[in-house]
Amino acid sequence: MSGLRTMLAKELAETVHTWRIWVLPGFLLFSGVSAALVTYFMPALLESLGGETAGIAIALPDPTAAMAYTEYLGNLSELVILALVIAYGGIVSSELRSGTGALTLAKPLSRTAFVTAKWLSQLCVIVLATALATAVCVGVTAALLSTGPLAALAAATGLWLAFATLLLSLMVLLSVLLPAPAAASGAGIGIYIALIVIGQFGRLADWSPSGLPSAGIALLQGLPAVWVAPLITSLAASAVLMLAALWFFARREI
Amino acid sequence: MTEAPPLDSVWLIALLAVVVAVELGLLIWALVDLVRRPATQITGGNKILWLLLSVFVQVLGPILYLTVGRRRDVEPAEEVRRPSAPEPPPPPGAGSPSGAGGPARPGGAPAGTGGHAQAASHVTRAAAFLYGEAGDAVGEPRAARDGDAPAPAPIRRLTTPAVELAGVRKVFKGAAALDGLTLSVPEGSVFGFLGPNGAGKTTTLRILAGLARPTSGDARVLGHEAGADGRTRALIGYLPDVPAFYKWMNAAEYLRFSGRLFGLEGARLESRIAALLELADLGRVTTRIGGYSRGMKQRLGIAQALINAPRLLLLDEPTSALDPIGRREVLDMVAALRGRTTVFFSTHILADVERVCDTVAIIDRGRVVEQAAIDELRRRRHGLNRLVIDVDDPGRLADALVGQPWLRAVAPAESGGLVLSVDDLAAAQRALPHVLAAAGVALERLETNELSLEDVFVGLVGERQA
Repeated sequence: MSGLRTMLAKELAETVHTWRIWVLPGFLLFSGVSAALVTYFMPALLESLGGETAGIAIALPDPTAAMAYTEYLGNLSELVILALVIAYGGIVSSELRSGTGALTLAKPLSRTAFVTAKWLSQLCVIVLATALATAVCVGVTAALLSTGPLAALAAATGLWLAFATLLLSLMVLLSVLLPAPAAASGAGIGIYIALIVIGQFGRLADWSPSGLPSAGIALLQGLPAVWVAPLITSLAASAVLMLAALWFFARREI
Repeated sequence: MTEAPPLDSVWLIALLAVVVAVELGLLIWALVDLVRRPATQITGGNKILWLLLSVFVQVLGPILYLTVGRRRDVEPAEEVRRPSAPEPPPPPGAGSPSGAGGPARPGGAPAGTGGHAQAASHVTRAAAFLYGEAGDAVGEPRAARDGDAPAPAPIRRLTTPAVELAGVRKVFKGAAALDGLTLSVPEGSVFGFLGPNGAGKTTTLRILAGLARPTSGDARVLGHEAGADGRTRALIGYLPDVPAFYKWMNAAEYLRFSGRLFGLEGARLESRIAALLELADLGRVTTRIGGYSRGMKQRLGIAQALINAPRLLLLDEPTSALDPIGRREVLDMVAALRGRTTVFFSTHILADVERVCDTVAIIDRGRVVEQAAIDELRRRRHGLNRLVIDVDDPGRLADALVGQPWLRAVAPAESGGLVLSVDDLAAAQRALPHVLAAAGVALERLETNELSLEDVFVGLVGERQA
């Protein structure tokens, strides 16, 4: 792919030099720290309220590291995914709207490399920031509580990364198809909500990508988890979405 | 496992109060900013979406808006140009600078004709280095090692035109932006692509640059299908009418990025960057591109278009929004490239075409209405010359001129006399005294004028629009 390495380097440098570096990594780190803190302080918070809410006595088990990890995974699957969808609404279209894309694509850079570099660079950012946030979550949890099931956490985080990759690919496609970032983000949020709804139906969650977040949480809780089929369909869907994005982008006018 | 310490209710309330205060503060900050900020400075341009997000997504909504939703438009920095002293180092292999300096003009070069000559000289040196060093791309290698303004390397003339368009149509939503456009641009020329706004100039350049495709017809660049693949695009340089750059880069970083896309690396790339920064008068500018003025961006745009020493340089209205000094500098750059590469230069400014172009095509409503060398165009269209003649009785002279074989047209002059368009100037000059004597009118003034390009342009485009 002509120019992929140069474009990838530019994308990574752009991430560091602009607001992008603060958004997803910021949300991820916030999730990692807040999950441990909330789990740790929740019993004390409830106790200070008298141990009951609206007259109903609430008895929480003692906080554990596994609970903190579960809280972290929950944050990833909701807040971070929402931030990802909104942040990447203009991942391709913003360059075309600003005019920088025209100047770049008039050079011998293939359109495939242009889109792939954007996808790869943000995948790198997501993977690195997730690894860092997970490490921070483990560290803060260990300081406040104890060390939990690290292998299960790693596996669950890996499954979440596959889900995030799927949504990143989806946003790349939407950003190729829809010139307005807000429209792409809106469509992305709609599809994400649809995936959550699908996840409520057992059969569909067993094989569709919507089963990935719940499978990760089940792994952390030591419950039986169906994750192979959702993982495969997620990766396959990511590939299909990216191929579609490349196909449409190769044919559109700049 | 460590036991969580019980929290005192007072501290808890204080903590909650801080959290609520932060949340409310963020919300108010976001809402006030949202109301005051124009939609054009908001990501996505949708205020309602950001309003809903800020109000209904607790804490994260306002944070998201304040970090992602706001676009900061950087005010352009003052025009930064090269001071007259000390002279910046010449590009490698470009020889020593010429000229004795003199007082600096605001635009950077010394005042007066000498200043312009010196400014033009540094442009010429940079262009000579670029095409000398990259001579293999356009013709015989020729390094500019001695002398200030070495003669351009000869272009290897090919039988294939640099640009060839045959019956190109481009339709947007049912409206034809190009309607059977046909033209041919010889390699090595500075080609003026002239037309009124909306004539199809930008669409044509976008097709040649590979950013758009013709609906029908054939568009070829240096013998290859326009924009078909990277190999074709590697031969061209392109400057759009409003160039947009990555604001977080500086000029050298952008040129490095551009050069690497053309496969340039190492010392070869760095020497070209140095030469082009001098060409664009940006060698001493360290600020990021987001702070550049329009003129600086335009000069950087030309520099990036030249990074590959292209065999075809496509410039889309490069002077349209520049002040007189910036315009002169851009035209100097184009003039310095004469004989080194083919320049395809779209504009609606007739004076620019007359100044730097040797061949011109006039386009109107998506079709070429005339294509020729500028002199040939004047000759072909309205005859060679026009005569402005003032007499004591213009009406009687106009009657007497009817039927003269050398006369093409008669029109009233601003002075009150007549403007005669003539096919054969010599015949007119011989016959006019006899006509004046026969009509019995007294000659007060006789002036010979060449037809300007503007006369030709208005004649051609005006006729079609009438």
